[in-house]
Amino acid sequence: MSTIAPQFRLSRFVASLFDIIFWVILIFSLVGLPIVFIVLFYIKMPVINGQMLTPYLALTWMADPSRTLPIIKTLIHTTFFHVLAFPGFGFAALLAAATIFVERKFLAKIQLRVGPLYCGKVEGILQLMGDGLKLISKEIIIPAKADKPIFWVGPLLFVGTAGAFVSLIPVARGWVVANPAVGLLAVFATIGFFPIISVLTAWAANNKWTFIGGLRALHQMIAFEIPLILSLLSIVIMTGTLNLSQIAESQQHYWWIVFAPISAIVFFICILAELERIPFDLPEAESEIVAGWLTEFSGMMYGLIQLGTYLKLYAFAGLFTVLFLGGWNGPMVWPPFPADIVTQGITIGPITAKIAGLPLFDQDMLNGTLWFVIKTVGVILLILLPRGVFPRIRIDMLLHTGWYKLIGLAFINIFIALGLLYAGILGPGGLIQ
Amino acid sequence: MTTQLPPGIKLETVDDRIMTLNVGPQHPGSGHMRLIIKVDGDYIVSCDPDPGYVHRGEEKMAEYRNYIQNVPHLERPVIHDSSNILYPYCLAVEELLGIEVPERAKYIRVIAAELNRCIYILYWLAIYGIFLGHSTMFMWPAGDRELFIDLLEAMSGARVTHAYLVPGGVRNDLPANFEERCLRQVDYLEKRLKEYLAVFYKNPILISRTEGTGILSRTDAIRLGTTGSVLRASGVNFDIRKKEPYDVYENLDFETVVMKEGDSYARSYVPYLEMFESCRIIRDAIRKMPKSGSVRTKLKPNPKGGNDEVYKRVESGRGALGYYIVSNNRPEPYRVKISVGSFRNLICMPYLLKGELLGNMPAVYWSLNYWPVEADR
Amino acid sequence: MSSENEKDGQPSETAAESPEDARSLSKDEAKKFYEEKGIDFSPDAPVNPRPIPQFEKSLSDKIASKFGSKASVDYVRSNRIRISTKKEDVSDVAYFIRDELGYDHAESVSGVDYPDSKEIEVVYHLGSYTDEKLANQVLTLATRVPREEIPNPGKDSSRMTSLREVFYSVEFHERECFEMFGVYFEGHPDNRRLLLPEDWADIPPFRKDFKIKGR
Repeated sequence: MSTIAPQFRLSRFVASLFDIIFWVILIFSLVGLPIVFIVLFYIKMPVINGQMLTPYLALTWMADPSRTLPIIKTLIHTTFFHVLAFPGFGFAALLAAATIFVERKFLAKIQLRVGPLYCGKVEGILQLMGDGLKLISKEIIIPAKADKPIFWVGPLLFVGTAGAFVSLIPVARGWVVANPAVGLLAVFATIGFFPIISVLTAWAANNKWTFIGGLRALHQMIAFEIPLILSLLSIVIMTGTLNLSQIAESQQHYWWIVFAPISAIVFFICILAELERIPFDLPEAESEIVAGWLTEFSGMMYGLIQLGTYLKLYAFAGLFTVLFLGGWNGPMVWPPFPADIVTQGITIGPITAKIAGLPLFDQDMLNGTLWFVIKTVGVILLILLPRGVFPRIRIDMLLHTGWYKLIGLAFINIFIALGLLYAGILGPGGLIQ
Repeated sequence: MTTQLPPGIKLETVDDRIMTLNVGPQHPGSGHMRLIIKVDGDYIVSCDPDPGYVHRGEEKMAEYRNYIQNVPHLERPVIHDSSNILYPYCLAVEELLGIEVPERAKYIRVIAAELNRCIYILYWLAIYGIFLGHSTMFMWPAGDRELFIDLLEAMSGARVTHAYLVPGGVRNDLPANFEERCLRQVDYLEKRLKEYLAVFYKNPILISRTEGTGILSRTDAIRLGTTGSVLRASGVNFDIRKKEPYDVYENLDFETVVMKEGDSYARSYVPYLEMFESCRIIRDAIRKMPKSGSVRTKLKPNPKGGNDEVYKRVESGRGALGYYIVSNNRPEPYRVKISVGSFRNLICMPYLLKGELLGNMPAVYWSLNYWPVEADR
Repeated sequence: MSSENEKDGQPSETAAESPEDARSLSKDEAKKFYEEKGIDFSPDAPVNPRPIPQFEKSLSDKIASKFGSKASVDYVRSNRIRISTKKEDVSDVAYFIRDELGYDHAESVSGVDYPDSKEIEVVYHLGSYTDEKLANQVLTLATRVPREEIPNPGKDSSRMTSLREVFYSVEFHERECFEMFGVYFEGHPDNRRLLLPEDWADIPPFRKDFKIKGR
């Protein structure tokens, strides 16, 4: 129980408040405003709607949506926003977090539990946020004999690489952070970094368990990267392009999973292995090697690794959607933006407001995003739910699966794709176009 | 090496290829013990079990307390199987003091022991599931265990540490409507157990992981003196409930579960099948039990055993469990030795783990039906 | 000493006094004392003589005829036989028990400390899995080793031949007996501590002169 200090007097308290307000205003006007003006003097303000953006104008626009919306629209199309918020990091993290919540509840139902229940009042909806806060507030412990720079930089590298992977995934037509002509090769290059990071951090932690876990991660990822690449080769053969947006575009009429089901299965198993998900969670096998290559991470360093894992999860699910499930293609279900508002404005009582810049997003993009999200969430759930039914696989069985079975299966679909191509059914000038 | 090492601690020189791993006591896959495992690559070269982290000296404590005071603390080594660990103690003390147990008490004891065996096996199975990374198999048995815990709570008043069996019978009579409730819950458990089969025992990954790992041949099982499910999974038909029936087991209808393979899968499957037999025993015991009567023979205050010794054994969830009690005309036993199944099965561990993959370690280790706390006593 | 009554909630006065008082009284007085209190309690109540079973008798006769005075049969009861030998002969007797009688494993190895006679008894409980007839039998093989007042485990005279060559299953049991009683087993390949910590620096804890705290 806290008590009011014995010397407390309300008049002094009120006086101190006025004191603070006085000093804030004084310092702001003497120091803050000149700084703002000096900065504005050197920065070239954008010209919007034929008007130069001055601070005063900016303040008036705050209250005027017809002037605010164009700014927001400009902002939305900057690379900064792409990277940070919509097709990039923020969107991916949010989607992954939402899916993880659903997965936790779903898994709990499988296991006859209730799952997260109390945090956030409604079915534990804030549990993930609570977990995040807990991780942030925990102490970060570095082992005394660790190779500290590499150990520190490991989680950051992991998140960075996962973010780079996320940036390659097209969400809707034209909505992608990076759209290189060789997008698929960029994907392969990016996921090639993960085993290196695992081994580096595992070695840097100077612990036997992390070492074994890192080696296992290396074995596993390399064994599954080859069938992963091979399974996607059939898609490349059929589409004739490496650009992910074009691959998604090419599936307007039919999805590639129809022609490459074996590739899809191989790719899905490889995703499970690359993500270290059950039944392939050997690098983190708890009962064998404590927590594998994550053993020595604590606090937010562990949190960053988890964040990276979830970003990776989203990116792989998105990749599966783009390559096999038609990406953003789907029937138009999003209602069109009411044309009246654009042409005539909104009439509220005596005022008719004509808001320029509407609609913020076009119908095509919203519809594409909706379908992409639906498909991706489905794939993420498919990736997560084997946890409920499968035990962990053993390392020799895993390597055998990767090197013998999956590579062979991937080749089968390459031959099918080549056959379809040379029979003139697919490809440029084919029957189905 | 110039530094002075503490006495009793030696430096060991090993090959550079060999890595020594301390699995435990804080390792999530070790239980309350340590396994000093040497690995060459992914293969285990040698394994040296180091129990004793939860050694509580129950045998020494028993020498300082009289026969009745010993009851609650002697069940502590396996609180999940507390009726079965008290059972041989009660039998031994009854023989030492020459007490006859009422007929109804014998049946109630059998029911309590079988309920407790199911509780223990479900708990063991839950941990086996999580050791293999199967989280559903962790949650399901841990939840279904509550059924029988509730039953035993109704019988004894305590959820886990019952101290229900006492020399001379059981502590108190069954509650009203117990038989009905018990039969209902036994039926439910059998229904659930069939679902375990689908999710766990018929799982292809589980089968490929555990079949053919850690094979203990019949000869070795006998030579190493293993007991319980480990022995029966290796093809030896030995169950003390059948071979040396105590109390009323000879009147009851059940079979001994024997498998021939002797691998991890068989060792994990035998306890599962034994739960069905336990359910059979419970049903049969409830049918044959006298509906009324005394449940406890009153003892004299501070009873003294003669100048005698006695060795009694029962079949617990982990195998034969024997009490060797030496008495010397005093109210306290002179020496109590608990021969536990876990300790006897411990000897298999270095034998079976040698040459296995590190990934097989949890599967082999926990399939030995080993309870570290009981082994330490 | 134990002054608690048994658990059924009688007032504990009678029992609390009785053993202490009884010890200081002579036998007749003690009997009178108990009779006054209305308790039928006499330490040497006559034990009903148990009939000696035939099968067990035949087993013990085999040992007795083979070893004569070397091995003495302490008792033969239903399903239980106890043989005690000198520590020099224990290995021979064990080989005979394994090869001729068919016992194939040890259930436990217990030490019992007798400070008065300066001896530690090592008790092997042997059973059989292979022989169907012996499945309900437990043969108790006991032997005694000298006991030192100031023990020095592994280096004093408390030692005997290990039976690990005979019964492989005694390996961990003998290790436990070594650390708890200080009996060194010659020929045991791995005479290290098992349960006790490496830095245990007291006498072997299950000896009678190791007192536990609070009692």
